[in-house]
Amino acid sequence: MAHHHVTSADIAIDGDHLDASKFSKVKTIAMALAAGGTLVSLYLLFFAPEKVRGPFAYSWLFAFYFFLTLSIGGCFWTLLHNVSNSGWGTSVRRTFENLGSTYPWMFLFGLPLLCPDVQQYLYEWMNTHRAAPGAVKEHLHHVDHLLYNKYWYMNLPFWYGRVIFWGVGLSLVIIGLRKLSIAQDTDPTPGTKRLFQARFHSTYTLIIFALTITFTGFDFLMGLDYKWFSTMWGVYLFAGSALNSMAVIILVCAWLRSQGHLKNVTGPEHFHIMGKLLFAFTVFWAYIAFSQYFLIWYANITEETSYFLIRNTGNWNTGMIALVFGHFVIPFVILLQAWLKRNPKTLSIMAVYTLAMHVLDHYLITIPERGISLGNIKPEVFGGIQPSIPGAFWGDILAFVTIGAAFLFFLLRAIGQHSLYPNRDPRILESANLSN
Amino acid sequence: MSTTRKRVYGYLAEFKSASALYKAAEKIRDAGFRKWDCYSPYPIHGLDGAMGLKRSILPWFVFFGGMTGCATAFALAYSTQVVIYPTIVQAKPANIFTVPAFFPVMFELTILFSGFTVLFGLLALIQLPRLNHPLFASKQFHRATDDGFFIAIEARDPKFSPNQTKELLAEIGGANIELVEEED
Repeated sequence: MAHHHVTSADIAIDGDHLDASKFSKVKTIAMALAAGGTLVSLYLLFFAPEKVRGPFAYSWLFAFYFFLTLSIGGCFWTLLHNVSNSGWGTSVRRTFENLGSTYPWMFLFGLPLLCPDVQQYLYEWMNTHRAAPGAVKEHLHHVDHLLYNKYWYMNLPFWYGRVIFWGVGLSLVIIGLRKLSIAQDTDPTPGTKRLFQARFHSTYTLIIFALTITFTGFDFLMGLDYKWFSTMWGVYLFAGSALNSMAVIILVCAWLRSQGHLKNVTGPEHFHIMGKLLFAFTVFWAYIAFSQYFLIWYANITEETSYFLIRNTGNWNTGMIALVFGHFVIPFVILLQAWLKRNPKTLSIMAVYTLAMHVLDHYLITIPERGISLGNIKPEVFGGIQPSIPGAFWGDILAFVTIGAAFLFFLLRAIGQHSLYPNRDPRILESANLSN
Repeated sequence: MSTTRKRVYGYLAEFKSASALYKAAEKIRDAGFRKWDCYSPYPIHGLDGAMGLKRSILPWFVFFGGMTGCATAFALAYSTQVVIYPTIVQAKPANIFTVPAFFPVMFELTILFSGFTVLFGLLALIQLPRLNHPLFASKQFHRATDDGFFIAIEARDPKFSPNQTKELLAEIGGANIELVEEED
């Protein structure tokens, strides 16, 4: 054991606070980027010529959902840590909560997707619904039997109701849990009451989380092609979400340590466990991704194969092959090393790499649909069906930088608000003296 | 007069608690002993570090065991499904690119071979099963599975000496120090 036994004398009695002035510059730049980018994006989403608006709607959806998965993952790790009665991660739990607390803000960036002006380029099924002269269901009965059959789930009032619930529900969950955790920091007589409360409330709210990650994926992404379905979809998005939010958590903890924080309460053992989780979810992602591919490939049903027909042909196929090796084989072999997971620096490099692969993953989820859907929806504007739309790539970058800057801003803001670890949590010493 | 010869196995010492055992282990490690072991009714976190144990070689066995399983399954599926008797389903080709169809078998045999290597590799490394252990000759050692914490230093350790080792054990808090002898 390299470090000595941590006792309550080593725990900062009023918490470990980040010096706000040290990173206010980064925060200001991030905020400026986000604000400027949002203004430009709103123009591109609503007022630009149609030829730009259509492709940019996909860019926005890609960037929005990418960062949403990171926030949802923060909620997941908070809930899981509470509900499993864990002690190991108490010293990094505040980082889980801070990451999760970006969820309400990230969800706000999905608001443009609630406007029919944007939806018309993304969701073909909504156009069919909106084109109905009278009763929608009766209309669908005549024009598209598949949509008629799916009407119970795919109808506009239910869609809006669901989306509002995904936004509000999980936001309330993470705000509540974070409040509970922070209230403990300054309590002069901290007891175990909040620990048990957090554990209890994390049980049923875990269901809200599961519904959110599954059905935001259904409503925002799977709905891009209403004919396509996959029962693996929710699990697939969850695997990527849990994996990459852990990557963000590792990066934040490593950065805080390099700034001289979390010194007494975290060590190689914590990074080792977080690295193991990163490794485990790398494998889990591959397992789910392959299972989804395998079942669709084996069954060979027309409606299902369309997803891989688009992505496993032409240039997109290069990306998909890169995903197999880059998202699974390479990190699998590298993350097997124990020493690498115990070193915050090397683990951070792997976390950055994992996040880069997550970008590729989500790019391949959303963007290949663009040229096909737009060609289907408005051939007179976008031309026929094509694998990709030239020049639309710049919009992807703009949307990614905009929402990414906002994500960074809200994450930094949350980190700077309160103590960096729950300093009066009953299990803080257990976590600080972790050995695995 | 007994005709059985006896051979010295080593010293056995009892310690009060898990933490006493832990601290004693650190001292024996630092004294440079190699042939010795700790006995406790339950696993103690970090004791491997306190004993100065190196990482086990077992993961390497398992890695190659798993690779062998993967290769075996691929060879089995490929030779039967592509070379010897191609099964054409839904007009899908039978060639190297149908490898996803073999993945479940490859996965399962990887796991199976890894599992076997874990089990048999572990048994080989810890030299189990065996019929007897010299320490069973000690009466007090029975408590190692109940409430006793023990350290045994073997006589075949190059640093072992009848007097100094006993003194060392006493010095670091060992009680009921006993010279365990095995029947030859």
